[in-house]
Amino acid sequence: MSTTTTGRIEHLPRSRRRQLVAVALAGYPVAVAVVAALKHTSLNRWLILVVLLLLLLPPLVALTVSYRYARGRIDGRRARLDERDLSLRQQAYALSHRVLAVILIAATAVTEIYLTSGNTLRFDANTFWPVAAWVIVYLPALPSLMLAWIETDQPADA
Amino acid sequence: MPDSQRRVHNRLAVLRAERGLSRKQLADKLGINYQTIGYIERGDYNPSLELALTIAELFRLPIEAIFSLTPMTPLSEEIFREPPTELR
Repeated sequence: MSTTTTGRIEHLPRSRRRQLVAVALAGYPVAVAVVAALKHTSLNRWLILVVLLLLLLPPLVALTVSYRYARGRIDGRRARLDERDLSLRQQAYALSHRVLAVILIAATAVTEIYLTSGNTLRFDANTFWPVAAWVIVYLPALPSLMLAWIETDQPADA
Repeated sequence: MPDSQRRVHNRLAVLRAERGLSRKQLADKLGINYQTIGYIERGDYNPSLELALTIAELFRLPIEAIFSLTPMTPLSEEIFREPPTELR
């Protein structure tokens, strides 16, 4: 990614960053749900694949931009992390833990309601892969997303 | 800055302007990122005691002349304020 693009990402206003984080977090479950619903229709499999890719594009772009915004500070690759960066990183990790707890509790509650309503849950590749992909992609990216969410707008240069 | 944290007011922007320092120059002297100076000036980040003392040392001023828990009055007002009557 060019220096100009990186510079623009670093100066993204908080409102825009929060929109990106929301798209990154909500986009994937929406895409999975839509595709799961489409599988029960007579729609061509290739068309479903195209729909899936189109639906995955916005969350993937949002995820990449948010990750780029915070990457150097979350993984400590930035040459110099000062006390504000370290404090922000700590807050981002704490918030990502809280968000993860809410997601896990909500997922457990939904599964519990689904199962106690007389339904059965089949654990096969169709159910495993969406969950596995979420864990592989989102778990490492969550602190970066949270940092992009919490940091206030940068002061104007002076 | 967490909502529960009390805001620390400061005169950093005035002192920096007086000495003709840019945020980048001041940040380099303090060994921090230049954005942090902006966040402190805007009151969005409360510096650690160590950083506040380092800033005070750099400007050769007492820490209470730079940072305060109450809103700060303009420097000129403090300099030219008349002393209390009992001291005259």
